[in-house]
Amino acid sequence: MASMMFLGASSAAGKSTLSAIVCRLLSRRGHDVAPFKTLNLSLNSFVDRNGGEMGMSQAFQAWACGLEPECHMNPVLIKPHGPGRMQTIIAGRPVEGGDLRERAFRTAMECFASLAERHEIVIVEGSGSAAEINLRSTDIANMRTARETGSPAIIVGDIDSGGVFAGIYGTYMLLEPEDRELVKGFIINRFRGDDSILEPAITKIEELTGMRCLGVMPYLAVRLPSEDSLDISGGGELSGTDVRQAWMDNLERLVDIAEESLDTDLIMDILKDSSA
Amino acid sequence: MQWVKDKVREELATGYRGPDRGCEYHPCHFEGQDCSWCFCPFYPCELPELGTHVRSSRTGEMVWSCVDCEFIHRDDVAGFVAERTQEMNITDPGDRRIQELLTEVRGRFRTRAKAIMILGATSDAGKSLTVTALCRIINDMGYSVAPFKSQNMSLNSSVTLSGDEISRAQQLQAMAARMEPDFHINPILLKPKGDAVSQVIVEGRPFADYDVRSYYDEFIPQHGFAILERNLEYLKRKNDFVIMEGAGSPAEINIYDRDIANMGAARVADADCILVVNIEKGGAFAYAYGTVMLIPEEERSMVKGIVINNMHGQASYLDEGIRELEERLGIPVLGVVPHLELRLPKEDSLGCKDRAGEGPDVAVIRLPRISNFTDFDALEMEGAQVRFVTEPGQLSGADLIVIPGSKNSVGDLQWLKDVGFDAALQSVKGKVPILGICGGYQMMGSRIDDPMGIEGDGPGSHEGLGLLRTVTVFDSQDKFTKQVEGTLASGDGKIRGYEIHMGSSDRAGHEPLFLINDGVVREEGCLDLDDKVMGSYIHGLFDLPAFRRFAFALGGEAGRFGNDRDHIEDVEENLDILADAFRQALDIDGFVKDFMEVATWPR
Repeated sequence: MASMMFLGASSAAGKSTLSAIVCRLLSRRGHDVAPFKTLNLSLNSFVDRNGGEMGMSQAFQAWACGLEPECHMNPVLIKPHGPGRMQTIIAGRPVEGGDLRERAFRTAMECFASLAERHEIVIVEGSGSAAEINLRSTDIANMRTARETGSPAIIVGDIDSGGVFAGIYGTYMLLEPEDRELVKGFIINRFRGDDSILEPAITKIEELTGMRCLGVMPYLAVRLPSEDSLDISGGGELSGTDVRQAWMDNLERLVDIAEESLDTDLIMDILKDSSA
Repeated sequence: MQWVKDKVREELATGYRGPDRGCEYHPCHFEGQDCSWCFCPFYPCELPELGTHVRSSRTGEMVWSCVDCEFIHRDDVAGFVAERTQEMNITDPGDRRIQELLTEVRGRFRTRAKAIMILGATSDAGKSLTVTALCRIINDMGYSVAPFKSQNMSLNSSVTLSGDEISRAQQLQAMAARMEPDFHINPILLKPKGDAVSQVIVEGRPFADYDVRSYYDEFIPQHGFAILERNLEYLKRKNDFVIMEGAGSPAEINIYDRDIANMGAARVADADCILVVNIEKGGAFAYAYGTVMLIPEEERSMVKGIVINNMHGQASYLDEGIRELEERLGIPVLGVVPHLELRLPKEDSLGCKDRAGEGPDVAVIRLPRISNFTDFDALEMEGAQVRFVTEPGQLSGADLIVIPGSKNSVGDLQWLKDVGFDAALQSVKGKVPILGICGGYQMMGSRIDDPMGIEGDGPGSHEGLGLLRTVTVFDSQDKFTKQVEGTLASGDGKIRGYEIHMGSSDRAGHEPLFLINDGVVREEGCLDLDDKVMGSYIHGLFDLPAFRRFAFALGGEAGRFGNDRDHIEDVEENLDILADAFRQALDIDGFVKDFMEVATWPR
C-alpha cells in the first residue's frame, strides 16, 4: 500500500481539488486508488449506499477513483449548526458525548487501515491549515494523521490571494521538526499568468526547506462540489443534465491540465517511497 | 535683516491669515499652503531637518537658508503659532519667548512625518481597513495624518478636486484622516484592461499601458522609485504622520527587488512596519511567520508588530498560538481585531458580492470588466437588494436594471450581445427602469465609434444596444476626470459624483437626466421617460437620496422605501465604528509608546 497526503497552507488552498485530481490521474493510469480524509468540517454532506453520512468532497473523490463512495473515506464529519454548536458524525452516524476526539481518531485510523488493505494507493487530505499552532495538541486531521498513516505530505498553497511563498514556508517551519521530515513537497495552486516569473521564488523555497515543487496549477474557473462557503470558485459552468457527470467532466479537464502542470514522475516516486 | 524683523512684527500684529491667494507668488511652496507666516518668526531656527547653513554670495558670510522649509506653511502649524503668539501677547520679533514657543511647536507637530507601513500577509488581509482605522484614530488625537499607497491595482477609482484619478480606497482613507484627497496619496494607479495589461495612472493622469513583465522590468526601475520618493517626501513634509498601505504580500520573493509597494516604500519612508493577517481563511500563524522570515534579514527588523484581523469568536482562543508566534519571531502581536460588519466602500472584487435587502430589487449586470461598483454601496441605504447578474434570465423580478461602468466598453458590449442581454433588455424596456452608468451608458446607445481603436482591438464602429439613440465617439486618448455637483433635470434634488471616462456621447435629442453646475450649468445624461431608460457618465449618482428615489419611482416603487441620509454621513458613522473597534482591539497605549514617538500625549 502506498499513500500521499495533501496539506493546506490555508483553509481554501485547494486540497480537495488537488486530491481529486491526483485520484483521477492515478485512476486513469490504471491504479487502484481510494480517497481518505480523517475529518471534514462541512455542511455539504453525502450519504453512501448504506446510509452513512460523509463529506461531499470525499464522495466526489471516490467517483474520481471510479469507486462507490463509502463513509469510511471520511470517518469524522463535523456539521456546525449555529454559534458554537455542532453535530459530530463518526463512521457515518451521529454520535453524542463530550470529548470525542480520541474515539474519532481511533475509528478514523481503523477506517484508513481498511481502505489500505483493499486498495493499492490511498490519497489523504488534511483539514484546514496544517500549522494552526494554537490547535497543535488537539488537531487529529493533519500531522497526527500523517504520522499515524506514514503518509508523505505535500503542502498546497493558493497563490491567488497572495503571499503563497510565505504561507508554504511558514506552514513548513511551524511544524514540529520530526513532522517536517514527512513533508516532501509543495504545489502552487490557482496561478494566473506566465509561471516562469515564479521560478526564483520556487528555487528559494526549495533551498530553504528541502521540499520539492511538484508544480504550478493554473487558475481555472471550474465548478466542482465545494466543501464549504469559503470555497467560492468564482464562476465556471456546469453543463448537461446530470450534475455529477458535469462535475466529473470538469475534473477531467483539470486532470488534463495537471498532466502538463504537475511533475507526475515525482508524484509516483514519492508514492513508491511511501510504500517502501 | 531689520526688514525681515519688521515683516514678522507686522505678521505678529495681524495674526492668522490662511492662504493668500491674491499674492502673485501664491502658491510658492504647495497648493493650499498657509501664508500667515510668509516670514518665519523662528528664523533662524537652525534645525538641521529644516534648512542648512550656506555661504552668502553677496557678503561671503555663512547664513541660515531654509527656502525649502514648508513646516511653518502647514495650516495646522501656522494656526497654532498664530493662536499662541496672540495668547502669549508676543508682539516683538526679538521676544525671547519665541524660542520657548518653538520648543512647544516641535512637541506638538512633527517637522517630518513619522511613517507607519501596514503590510498584509495576503492580498485580503485587511491592510486597507487597518490604514483607514489608524488614520481616523490618529486624527482623532489631534494630529495631521495622510494615508499613502504607492501603487494600487483597482478598477474603483475616484477623482480629486483637481481632477486627478486615485483609488477609491485612498479616498476613503483620506476621509478617515479628515484631509482633502490629492494624487500624492496614491501616485500610481493600475487599472486592469484584461489580458494582463493595465493602464497605468501616474499622479492622477493616464501615463501608458504596461503588461506585468514590462511594468516590473521597465516602469518600476525607470519611473517607479522616483514617483514614490517625491510623493512620500511631499506628504512627510506636511503631516505629523503618514500611514502607508502595502500591496499584496511583502514576501513575494520573486519580485522583491522591484517591489515599490511594500518594503521598498517602507525603506524610502523609513517606516515602522505592522503586518496584518486575516485569521478567517486559516493558516494565519504560518502566513505571519513565513512573511516575516522571507523578508531579508537586514529589513526584517523594520517589522515592529503583528495585527490579527477578522476574528470570529473569542480572541483568547488564540492565546497559545500568539505566544508561540511572538517567541519565535520576537515581534509582538499588537491585538486581535474582531470580524466587523461595516458599510464602507469596498475596493476589490469582494465588493461585487450580492447584498441582501428587503427593499427594491436591483439587478446590476456583472460585466467582465466591471468598474466602479462602489456606485452601488449607497443602495444599501434604501434597503435595496443588489444582485450582480451574469445571465439574462436573472433580470426577472428586478425593480431597476443597471449596466455599470466598464474598463472596456467595446469588449463588454460584445459580451452583452454574446450572452443575450441585448434582446432581454429590449424586451423589458418600458416596463423596468434601465440605467446605464459611464461605460454602460455608452453601450446603451445606437453606436460606439472607435476610429483609433482605443477601446476595441482595432479601429471600428460598433452597434450599441439601441436603448437610447446616443452615439459615442472615442476620438482622443484624453480622459475626462472631474468631480461634479448638480441636480436632477427637473431642477430639484441634489446629486454629487464624479466622471471618469474617455470618449464623449451625443445625446441625439434625448432629454437630459441631470443639470451639472461646473460654474456654468450643463445638461448631462439622457432620460427617456416613456421607455424608462436612463444613462449618465456620473459615478456616485446614488450617493444622495434624490436620484435613488427618482430611479425607483420610475419603476413604480415610489414611497415604498426611503432613507433621507446622505451616503457620506453613513460612511462617516461607519468610520467611527471602525476606529473604535481598532482602538479596543489594539493596545493603544503601547502602540502610542512604540510607534508615535511624540513628546506630548495626548494633545
